[in-house]
Amino acid sequence: MSSRRSRSKNSSGSSRITDDRINELISQLHQLLPEMHNSRSDKRSAGKVLQETCNYIRSLEREVDDLSERLSELLATTDENHAALIRSLLMQ
Amino acid sequence: MKIAKNSHTNPTSIKTRFALRFLRAIDNLNNNNNISPPLNSADRRKRFRAIRTAAYASMASAVGPNKAWSRAMLRKIRNRTKEMIKPRTRRGAVRGSTNPRNELGLGQEKELRELVPGGEAMDFRRLLNETGHYIQCLRAQVQVMRKILHYSST
Repeated sequence: MSSRRSRSKNSSGSSRITDDRINELISQLHQLLPEMHNSRSDKRSAGKVLQETCNYIRSLEREVDDLSERLSELLATTDENHAALIRSLLMQ
Repeated sequence: MKIAKNSHTNPTSIKTRFALRFLRAIDNLNNNNNISPPLNSADRRKRFRAIRTAAYASMASAVGPNKAWSRAMLRKIRNRTKEMIKPRTRRGAVRGSTNPRNELGLGQEKELRELVPGGEAMDFRRLLNETGHYIQCLRAQVQVMRKILHYSST
């Protein structure tokens, strides 16, 4: 922890970010992550939160891939009714 | 962190804007390709990519220019369609020159910068801010895509 403090003190003037601010942002990010484990703890280390964030983003992007794949297969077999369905969804 | 509050009080807003754009994009794809369903795997792969790109482009466009990640995303997509010849290997990877600042001295920060569009050039506070927003939008995007898939397959 002390090494982290000294790093932020050494960072150049214009973007001095306090540890408190970083912790606040990290914990806000933590709130967005799905609760995989039973942890309601706020004591997550910054490194862990960042790691879980990376994992979460990757899993969301994989989902987009999968959904795109399935939509693509669906559209491959589309017919007039389907196009009409899409248009009706657009009309709402 | 200025995560759009309205994504909580008005959860349909970004989803609606995304859905409209995405559906229009799919409709366009359909109209251009409705002659023959893609039979070979190359066509299928092309169609899959087109839909995936349309999804990301629709979300970035729905978000608008006020977020660095959405601007970076749209820029990347536009550049990609220009250079169809040279495929990019890793999305968001920065070759060489720019050295991402390593605020906490953690490897995860660098990893995050590569995952979030435009992440390489932000200071750490903005990176965290943009990441939060990006995650919320990705989630919304997934939810809407699931709904569309659901309604389309019944």
